[in-house]
Amino acid sequence: MSVVEVRGLMKKYPSFELKEASFTVDAGRITGFIGRNGAGKTTTIKSMLNLVHPDGGSVLYFGKPLLGNETEIKKHIGYSTGVVNWYPRKKIRSIVDIVKRFYDTWDEEAYRKYTELFQLDDAKTPLELSEGMKVKFNLLMALSHRAEVLILDEPTSGLDPFSRNELLDVFGELKKDGVAVFFSTHIISDIEKCADDIVYISRGRIAAATSREDFTARFSAPGETLEDTMLRMERGEGHA
Amino acid sequence: MRNIMRKEIRLSSSPLAFLFIAFGLLFFLPGYPILCGVFFTTLGLFQSFQAAREANDTVFSALLPIAKRDVVKGRFLFVCFIELCALVLMLVAVIVRMTVLAEAAPYTANALMNANPFALGAALFIFGLFNRIFVSGFYKTAYKIGRPFVAYIIAAFLAILVFEALHHIPGLGALNAFGTDHLGLQLAALAAGIAVYALLTAWAYRAACRRFEKIDL
Repeated sequence: MSVVEVRGLMKKYPSFELKEASFTVDAGRITGFIGRNGAGKTTTIKSMLNLVHPDGGSVLYFGKPLLGNETEIKKHIGYSTGVVNWYPRKKIRSIVDIVKRFYDTWDEEAYRKYTELFQLDDAKTPLELSEGMKVKFNLLMALSHRAEVLILDEPTSGLDPFSRNELLDVFGELKKDGVAVFFSTHIISDIEKCADDIVYISRGRIAAATSREDFTARFSAPGETLEDTMLRMERGEGHA
Repeated sequence: MRNIMRKEIRLSSSPLAFLFIAFGLLFFLPGYPILCGVFFTTLGLFQSFQAAREANDTVFSALLPIAKRDVVKGRFLFVCFIELCALVLMLVAVIVRMTVLAEAAPYTANALMNANPFALGAALFIFGLFNRIFVSGFYKTAYKIGRPFVAYIIAAFLAILVFEALHHIPGLGALNAFGTDHLGLQLAALAAGIAVYALLTAWAYRAACRRFEKIDL
Protein backbone atom coordinates (compact mmCIF):
# COMPACT_ATOMS: atom_id res chain seq x y z
CA MET A 1 0.00 0.00 0.00
CA SER A 2 1.39 3.40 -1.00
CA VAL A 3 1.67 5.77 1.92
CA VAL A 4 3.45 8.50 -0.03
CA GLU A 5 2.62 9.46 -3.59
CA VAL A 6 4.78 12.02 -5.32
CA ARG A 7 3.09 13.25 -8.50
CA GLY A 8 4.87 15.37 -11.09
CA LEU A 9 6.89 17.38 -8.59
CA MET A 10 8.71 20.27 -10.27
CA LYS A 11 11.11 22.88 -9.02
CA LYS A 12 13.16 25.24 -11.11
CA TYR A 13 16.27 27.03 -9.87
CA PRO A 14 18.53 29.14 -12.09
CA SER A 15 21.06 26.32 -12.37
CA PHE A 16 19.00 23.23 -11.62
CA GLU A 17 15.61 21.82 -12.46
CA LEU A 18 13.66 19.01 -10.84
CA LYS A 19 11.64 17.58 -13.71
CA GLU A 20 8.22 16.08 -12.92
CA ALA A 21 9.36 13.66 -10.24
CA SER A 22 6.81 10.89 -9.67
CA PHE A 23 7.13 7.81 -7.47
CA THR A 24 5.49 6.08 -4.53
CA VAL A 25 6.69 4.86 -1.16
CA ASP A 26 5.00 1.77 0.26
CA ALA A 27 4.27 0.75 3.84
CA GLY A 28 6.53 -1.99 5.21
CA ARG A 29 9.17 -1.43 2.56
CA ILE A 30 12.53 0.30 2.43
CA THR A 31 12.96 2.63 -0.50
CA GLY A 32 16.43 3.81 -1.38
CA PHE A 33 16.57 7.16 -3.13
CA ILE A 34 19.82 7.21 -5.00
CA GLY A 35 21.64 9.69 -7.15
CA ARG A 36 24.96 11.45 -7.31
CA ASN A 37 25.68 14.73 -5.52
CA GLY A 38 23.58 17.51 -7.05
CA ALA A 39 21.18 15.09 -8.78
CA GLY A 40 18.18 16.57 -6.93
CA LYS A 41 17.72 14.27 -3.93
CA THR A 42 17.57 16.99 -1.29
CA THR A 43 15.38 19.25 -3.45
CA THR A 44 12.94 16.38 -3.92
CA ILE A 45 12.88 15.58 -0.22
CA LYS A 46 12.48 19.22 0.80
CA SER A 47 9.66 19.61 -1.72
CA MET A 48 8.02 16.48 -0.29
CA LEU A 49 8.04 18.18 3.12
CA ASN A 50 6.94 21.63 1.94
CA LEU A 51 10.28 23.09 3.02
CA VAL A 52 10.81 24.04 -0.59
CA HIS A 53 7.90 25.49 -2.51
CA PRO A 54 7.44 23.32 -5.63
CA ASP A 55 6.56 24.96 -8.94
CA GLY A 56 4.22 22.11 -9.78
CA GLY A 57 2.99 18.68 -8.79
CA SER A 58 1.67 17.36 -5.51
CA VAL A 59 2.60 15.08 -2.63
CA LEU A 60 0.03 12.86 -0.96
CA TYR A 61 0.52 11.16 2.38
CA PHE A 62 -1.94 8.42 3.29
CA GLY A 63 -4.02 9.59 0.30
CA LYS A 64 -4.23 13.21 1.51
CA PRO A 65 -2.36 16.20 0.12
CA LEU A 66 0.26 17.63 2.47
CA LEU A 67 -0.95 21.17 1.84
CA GLY A 68 -4.02 21.66 3.96
CA ASN A 69 -3.28 18.64 6.18
CA GLU A 70 0.21 19.61 7.27
CA THR A 71 -0.25 19.38 11.04
CA GLU A 72 -1.91 15.98 11.04
CA ILE A 73 0.35 14.42 8.40
CA LYS A 74 3.60 15.65 9.98
CA LYS A 75 2.68 13.84 13.20
CA HIS A 76 3.00 10.57 11.30
CA ILE A 77 6.24 11.43 9.53
CA GLY A 78 9.76 11.25 10.87
CA TYR A 79 12.31 13.36 9.05
CA SER A 80 16.01 13.54 9.47
CA THR A 81 18.59 15.37 7.49
CA GLY A 82 22.33 14.72 7.69
CA VAL A 83 24.58 16.96 9.71
CA VAL A 84 22.64 19.95 11.00
CA ASN A 85 23.37 21.83 14.18
CA TRP A 86 19.99 22.38 15.79
CA TYR A 87 20.35 24.69 18.80
CA PRO A 88 24.09 23.94 19.15
CA ARG A 89 24.38 25.16 22.74
CA LYS A 90 21.25 23.57 24.20
CA LYS A 91 21.39 20.16 25.84
CA ILE A 92 19.98 17.37 23.70
CA ARG A 93 17.57 16.40 26.46
CA SER A 94 16.26 20.00 26.59
CA ILE A 95 15.65 19.97 22.83
CA VAL A 96 13.97 16.57 23.04
CA ASP A 97 11.85 17.72 25.98
CA ILE A 98 10.37 20.43 23.76
CA VAL A 99 10.00 18.27 20.64
CA LYS A 100 8.19 15.39 22.34
CA ARG A 101 5.35 17.65 23.47
CA PHE A 102 4.33 18.10 19.83
CA TYR A 103 3.70 14.37 19.37
CA ASP A 104 0.85 12.46 21.02
CA THR A 105 2.64 9.30 19.95
CA TRP A 106 6.03 10.08 21.50
CA ASP A 107 7.52 6.78 22.67
CA GLU A 108 9.82 7.30 25.65
CA GLU A 109 10.85 3.64 25.54
CA ALA A 110 11.90 3.93 21.89
CA TYR A 111 13.76 7.14 22.74
CA ARG A 112 15.74 5.36 25.46
CA LYS A 113 16.33 2.33 23.24
CA TYR A 114 17.79 4.41 20.39
CA THR A 115 19.74 6.63 22.79
CA GLU A 116 21.47 3.49 24.04
CA LEU A 117 21.85 1.93 20.60
CA PHE A 118 23.41 5.11 19.20
CA GLN A 119 25.43 5.61 22.43
CA LEU A 120 24.22 9.16 22.52
CA ASP A 121 24.68 11.12 25.74
CA ASP A 122 21.66 13.40 25.93
CA ALA A 123 23.35 15.60 28.53
CA LYS A 124 25.64 16.86 25.74
CA THR A 125 24.91 19.74 23.42
CA PRO A 126 24.93 19.30 19.61
CA LEU A 127 28.10 21.42 19.58
CA GLU A 128 29.85 18.69 21.58
CA LEU A 129 28.86 15.94 19.14
CA SER A 130 30.94 14.60 16.29
CA GLU A 131 29.44 14.84 12.80
CA GLY A 132 28.35 11.20 12.91
CA MET A 133 26.73 11.68 16.31
CA LYS A 134 24.81 14.69 14.99
CA VAL A 135 23.33 12.44 12.31
CA LYS A 136 22.34 9.99 15.06
CA PHE A 137 20.76 12.77 17.11
CA ASN A 138 18.60 13.72 14.12
CA LEU A 139 17.66 10.10 13.63
CA LEU A 140 16.84 9.71 17.30
CA MET A 141 14.16 12.40 17.08
CA ALA A 142 12.75 10.94 13.86
CA LEU A 143 12.55 7.44 15.35
CA SER A 144 11.07 8.26 18.75
CA HIS A 145 7.51 9.20 17.87
CA ARG A 146 6.35 6.02 16.16
CA ALA A 147 6.31 7.60 12.71
CA GLU A 148 4.62 5.56 9.99
CA VAL A 149 6.80 7.12 7.31
CA LEU A 150 10.46 7.93 7.75
CA ILE A 151 12.01 10.34 5.28
CA LEU A 152 15.74 10.43 5.81
CA ASP A 153 18.12 12.59 3.83
CA GLU A 154 21.57 10.99 3.68
CA PRO A 155 21.18 9.24 7.06
CA THR A 156 24.26 7.09 6.61
CA SER A 157 26.63 9.85 5.49
CA GLY A 158 29.28 10.53 8.09
CA LEU A 159 28.56 7.33 10.01
CA ASP A 160 31.28 4.78 10.63
CA PRO A 161 30.73 1.32 9.04
CA PHE A 162 29.53 -0.19 12.35
CA SER A 163 26.98 2.54 12.92
CA ARG A 164 25.85 2.29 9.30
CA ASN A 165 25.21 -1.40 9.70
CA GLU A 166 23.34 -0.80 12.95
CA LEU A 167 21.20 1.79 11.25
CA LEU A 168 20.40 -0.46 8.32
CA ASP A 169 19.39 -3.14 10.87
CA VAL A 170 17.10 -0.58 12.51
CA PHE A 171 15.50 0.04 9.11
CA GLY A 172 14.91 -3.71 8.84
CA GLU A 173 13.16 -3.78 12.22
CA LEU A 174 11.00 -0.79 11.35
CA LYS A 175 10.04 -2.41 8.08
CA LYS A 176 8.75 -5.44 9.99
CA ASP A 177 6.54 -3.07 11.99
CA GLY A 178 5.02 -1.78 8.75
CA VAL A 179 6.95 1.50 8.68
CA ALA A 180 7.77 2.95 5.26
CA VAL A 181 11.42 3.97 5.15
CA PHE A 182 12.51 6.34 2.40
CA PHE A 183 16.17 7.28 2.55
CA SER A 184 18.44 9.10 0.19
CA THR A 185 22.04 8.12 -0.26
CA HIS A 186 24.88 8.16 -2.71
CA ILE A 187 26.36 5.04 -1.11
CA ILE A 188 25.17 2.24 -3.35
CA SER A 189 26.17 -0.52 -0.95
CA ASP A 190 23.54 0.79 1.51
CA ILE A 191 20.89 0.20 -1.14
CA GLU A 192 22.26 -3.28 -1.88
CA LYS A 193 22.13 -4.16 1.80
CA CYS A 194 18.58 -3.23 2.63
CA ALA A 195 16.44 -1.52 -0.02
CA ASP A 196 13.33 -3.23 -1.39
CA ASP A 197 12.65 -0.46 -3.87
CA ILE A 198 14.86 1.98 -5.71
CA VAL A 199 14.11 5.50 -6.84
CA TYR A 200 17.00 6.60 -9.01
CA ILE A 201 17.40 10.28 -9.85
CA SER A 202 19.82 11.61 -12.39
CA ARG A 203 20.21 15.28 -13.39
CA GLY A 204 16.88 16.23 -11.84
CA ARG A 205 14.88 13.50 -13.56
CA ILE A 206 13.61 10.28 -12.00
CA ALA A 207 15.35 7.71 -14.19
CA ALA A 208 13.76 4.71 -12.47
CA ALA A 209 11.32 4.02 -9.65
CA THR A 210 10.77 0.32 -9.15
CA SER A 211 11.59 -2.71 -7.01
CA ARG A 212 15.26 -3.61 -6.66
CA GLU A 213 14.72 -6.90 -8.48
CA ASP A 214 13.01 -5.18 -11.38
CA PHE A 215 15.70 -2.51 -11.48
CA THR A 216 18.42 -5.15 -11.72
CA ALA A 217 16.48 -7.13 -14.34
CA ARG A 218 15.93 -4.05 -16.48
CA PHE A 219 19.22 -2.23 -16.21
CA SER A 220 22.00 -4.58 -15.08
CA ALA A 221 24.16 -6.72 -17.32
CA PRO A 222 24.63 -10.33 -16.17
CA GLY A 223 27.01 -10.47 -13.21
CA GLU A 224 27.10 -6.69 -12.90
CA THR A 225 26.82 -5.16 -9.43
CA LEU A 226 24.31 -2.42 -8.71
CA GLU A 227 27.21 0.00 -8.35
CA ASP A 228 28.57 -0.90 -11.81
CA THR A 229 25.09 -0.50 -13.28
CA MET A 230 24.65 2.93 -11.81
CA LEU A 231 28.12 4.09 -12.81
CA ARG A 232 27.39 2.99 -16.35
CA MET A 233 24.00 4.73 -16.34
CA GLU A 234 25.54 7.95 -14.96
CA ARG A 235 28.12 7.86 -17.75
CA GLY A 236 25.17 7.75 -20.13
CA GLU A 237 26.10 4.39 -21.55
CA GLY A 238 22.51 3.25 -21.72
CA HIS A 239 20.83 0.00 -20.70
CA ALA A 240 22.59 -3.31 -20.47
CA MET B 1 0.05 27.12 20.76
CA ARG B 2 1.40 26.56 24.27
CA ASN B 3 3.98 24.14 22.86
CA ILE B 4 5.12 26.64 20.25
CA MET B 5 5.50 29.37 22.88
CA ARG B 6 7.45 26.96 25.07
CA LYS B 7 9.77 26.26 22.14
CA GLU B 8 10.19 29.98 21.46
CA ILE B 9 11.06 30.73 25.08
CA ARG B 10 13.25 27.72 25.87
CA LEU B 11 14.98 27.06 22.55
CA SER B 12 14.73 29.96 20.12
CA SER B 13 15.10 33.07 22.25
CA SER B 14 18.18 34.90 23.47
CA PRO B 15 18.37 35.70 27.21
CA LEU B 16 18.90 39.31 26.14
CA ALA B 17 15.28 39.47 24.95
CA PHE B 18 14.18 38.93 28.57
CA LEU B 19 16.91 41.09 30.08
CA PHE B 20 16.14 44.02 27.79
CA ILE B 21 12.51 44.10 28.99
CA ALA B 22 14.04 46.03 31.91
CA PHE B 23 14.65 48.95 29.55
CA GLY B 24 10.94 49.66 30.02
CA LEU B 25 12.08 51.18 33.32
CA LEU B 26 13.78 53.99 31.40
CA PHE B 27 10.29 55.56 31.64
CA PHE B 28 11.40 56.54 35.17
CA LEU B 29 14.36 58.58 33.91
CA PRO B 30 13.89 62.34 33.82
CA GLY B 31 15.81 64.34 31.21
CA TYR B 32 16.09 61.27 28.99
CA PRO B 33 14.29 60.46 25.71
CA ILE B 34 12.25 57.70 27.33
CA LEU B 35 11.07 56.16 24.04
CA CYS B 36 14.65 54.95 23.54
CA GLY B 37 13.66 52.31 26.13
CA VAL B 38 11.24 50.93 23.55
CA PHE B 39 14.04 50.71 21.02
CA PHE B 40 16.33 48.89 23.47
CA THR B 41 13.59 46.34 24.18
CA THR B 42 13.32 45.63 20.46
CA LEU B 43 17.13 45.38 20.31
CA GLY B 44 16.83 42.39 22.67
CA LEU B 45 14.26 40.88 20.33
CA PHE B 46 16.62 41.44 17.41
CA GLN B 47 19.28 39.48 19.33
CA SER B 48 16.73 36.71 19.71
CA PHE B 49 16.13 36.55 15.96
CA GLN B 50 19.88 36.38 15.45
CA ALA B 51 20.28 33.56 18.00
CA ALA B 52 17.37 31.64 16.46
CA ARG B 53 18.81 31.98 12.98
CA GLU B 54 22.18 30.64 14.11
CA ALA B 55 20.44 27.66 15.74
CA ASN B 56 18.62 26.77 12.47
CA ASP B 57 15.40 27.42 14.31
CA THR B 58 13.26 28.19 11.26
CA VAL B 59 13.81 24.85 9.53
CA PHE B 60 13.60 22.99 12.84
CA SER B 61 10.24 24.64 13.55
CA ALA B 62 8.94 24.04 10.03
CA LEU B 63 9.58 20.31 10.53
CA LEU B 64 7.51 20.12 13.71
CA PRO B 65 3.94 18.86 13.27
CA ILE B 66 2.53 22.35 12.87
CA ALA B 67 1.48 24.35 9.82
CA LYS B 68 4.05 26.75 8.39
CA ARG B 69 1.92 29.73 9.41
CA ASP B 70 2.07 28.49 13.02
CA VAL B 71 5.86 28.89 12.92
CA VAL B 72 5.23 32.57 12.17
CA LYS B 73 2.44 32.75 14.74
CA GLY B 74 4.76 31.38 17.45
CA ARG B 75 7.36 34.04 16.72
CA PHE B 76 4.77 36.83 16.73
CA LEU B 77 3.35 35.59 20.03
CA PHE B 78 6.82 35.65 21.55
CA VAL B 79 7.56 39.13 20.20
CA CYS B 80 4.22 40.49 21.48
CA PHE B 81 4.80 38.80 24.85
CA ILE B 82 8.16 40.57 25.31
CA GLU B 83 6.74 43.88 24.09
CA LEU B 84 3.79 43.70 26.45
CA CYS B 85 6.07 42.77 29.38
CA ALA B 86 8.11 45.92 28.69
CA LEU B 87 4.87 47.88 28.36
CA VAL B 88 3.79 46.71 31.82
CA LEU B 89 7.02 48.18 33.28
CA MET B 90 6.40 51.39 31.36
CA LEU B 91 2.83 51.47 32.67
CA VAL B 92 4.10 51.09 36.25
CA ALA B 93 6.50 54.00 35.66
CA VAL B 94 3.68 56.09 34.17
CA ILE B 95 1.34 55.38 37.11
CA VAL B 96 4.05 56.20 39.67
CA ARG B 97 5.04 59.40 37.85
CA MET B 98 1.38 60.45 37.45
CA THR B 99 0.54 59.90 41.09
CA VAL B 100 3.07 59.72 43.94
CA LEU B 101 5.88 61.44 42.00
CA ALA B 102 3.68 63.90 40.10
CA GLU B 103 5.17 66.83 41.98
CA ALA B 104 8.76 65.54 42.17
CA ALA B 105 11.21 68.27 41.11
CA PRO B 106 13.26 66.21 38.59
CA TYR B 107 10.04 65.40 36.72
CA THR B 108 8.43 68.83 36.82
CA ALA B 109 11.67 70.30 35.45
CA ASN B 110 11.85 67.65 32.71
CA ALA B 111 12.52 69.28 29.32
CA LEU B 112 11.87 66.07 27.41
CA MET B 113 8.81 63.89 26.97
CA ASN B 114 6.96 62.96 30.17
CA ALA B 115 5.96 59.42 31.03
CA ASN B 116 2.19 59.61 30.57
CA PRO B 117 -0.51 57.69 28.65
CA PHE B 118 0.45 59.52 25.44
CA ALA B 119 4.01 58.17 25.86
CA LEU B 120 2.58 54.66 26.29
CA GLY B 121 0.61 55.11 23.07
CA ALA B 122 3.82 56.28 21.35
CA ALA B 123 5.65 53.21 22.71
CA LEU B 124 2.96 50.97 21.26
CA PHE B 125 3.29 52.74 17.91
CA ILE B 126 7.06 52.03 17.87
CA PHE B 127 6.50 48.39 18.85
CA GLY B 128 4.02 48.22 15.96
CA LEU B 129 6.71 49.60 13.63
CA PHE B 130 9.09 46.88 14.81
CA ASN B 131 6.53 44.18 14.08
CA ARG B 132 5.60 45.57 10.69
CA ILE B 133 9.05 46.55 9.43
CA PHE B 134 11.44 44.13 11.10
CA VAL B 135 9.49 40.97 11.97
CA SER B 136 7.45 40.92 8.79
CA GLY B 137 10.55 41.95 6.77
CA PHE B 138 12.52 39.07 8.25
CA TYR B 139 10.03 36.58 6.78
CA LYS B 140 10.85 37.73 3.25
CA THR B 141 13.86 35.41 3.51
CA ALA B 142 13.67 33.92 7.03
CA TYR B 143 17.40 34.53 7.41
CA LYS B 144 18.29 38.11 6.46
CA ILE B 145 17.97 40.33 9.51
CA GLY B 146 20.26 43.28 8.71
CA ARG B 147 18.23 45.14 6.12
CA PRO B 148 14.84 45.01 7.88
CA PHE B 149 16.48 46.01 11.16
CA VAL B 150 18.22 49.05 9.61
CA ALA B 151 14.89 50.06 8.05
CA TYR B 152 13.25 49.72 11.46
CA ILE B 153 16.01 51.74 13.20
CA ILE B 154 15.47 54.64 10.79
CA ALA B 155 11.69 54.52 11.24
CA ALA B 156 11.93 54.14 15.04
CA PHE B 157 14.30 57.06 15.57
CA LEU B 158 12.29 59.28 13.24
CA ALA B 159 9.21 58.36 15.29
CA ILE B 160 11.04 59.09 18.56
CA LEU B 161 12.14 62.46 17.16
CA VAL B 162 8.60 63.35 16.09
CA PHE B 163 7.03 62.22 19.40
CA GLU B 164 9.65 64.17 21.38
CA ALA B 165 9.06 67.28 19.24
CA LEU B 166 5.26 67.22 19.20
CA HIS B 167 4.65 68.81 22.60
CA HIS B 168 6.85 71.78 21.64
CA ILE B 169 4.46 72.68 18.83
CA PRO B 170 2.06 75.43 19.94
CA GLY B 171 -1.31 73.93 20.88
CA LEU B 172 0.07 70.42 21.48
CA GLY B 173 1.54 71.06 24.92
CA ALA B 174 -1.23 68.95 26.49
CA LEU B 175 0.44 65.85 25.06
CA ASN B 176 3.17 66.32 27.67
CA ALA B 177 0.71 66.54 30.58
CA PHE B 178 1.80 65.98 34.19
CA GLY B 179 -0.14 63.86 36.65
CA THR B 180 -3.78 63.52 35.66
CA ASP B 181 -3.97 66.74 33.63
CA HIS B 182 -5.76 66.45 30.27
CA LEU B 183 -6.62 62.87 31.14
CA GLY B 184 -9.26 62.55 28.41
CA LEU B 185 -6.82 63.53 25.69
CA GLN B 186 -4.12 61.36 27.22
CA LEU B 187 -6.32 58.28 27.31
CA ALA B 188 -7.49 58.93 23.76
CA ALA B 189 -3.82 59.02 22.68
CA LEU B 190 -3.23 55.73 24.48
CA ALA B 191 -6.30 54.17 22.82
CA ALA B 192 -5.01 55.34 19.43
CA GLY B 193 -1.62 53.73 20.23
CA ILE B 194 -3.34 50.45 21.12
CA ALA B 195 -5.36 50.51 17.90
CA VAL B 196 -2.32 51.32 15.73
CA TYR B 197 -0.27 48.58 17.46
CA ALA B 198 -3.03 46.02 16.86
CA LEU B 199 -3.42 47.06 13.21
CA LEU B 200 0.30 47.12 12.44
CA THR B 201 0.84 43.74 14.15
CA ALA B 202 -2.10 42.09 12.38
CA TRP B 203 -0.87 43.51 9.05
CA ALA B 204 2.67 42.34 9.80
CA TYR B 205 1.48 38.84 10.75
CA ARG B 206 -0.58 38.39 7.58
CA ALA B 207 2.26 39.63 5.37
CA ALA B 208 4.79 37.41 7.21
CA CYS B 209 2.60 34.30 6.78
CA ARG B 210 2.15 35.02 3.09
CA ARG B 211 5.88 35.54 2.60
CA PHE B 212 6.91 32.51 4.65
CA GLU B 213 4.64 30.22 2.62
CA LYS B 214 6.46 31.23 -0.55
CA ILE B 215 10.09 30.96 0.46
CA ASP B 216 12.31 27.92 0.16
CA LEU B 217 14.05 26.80 3.35
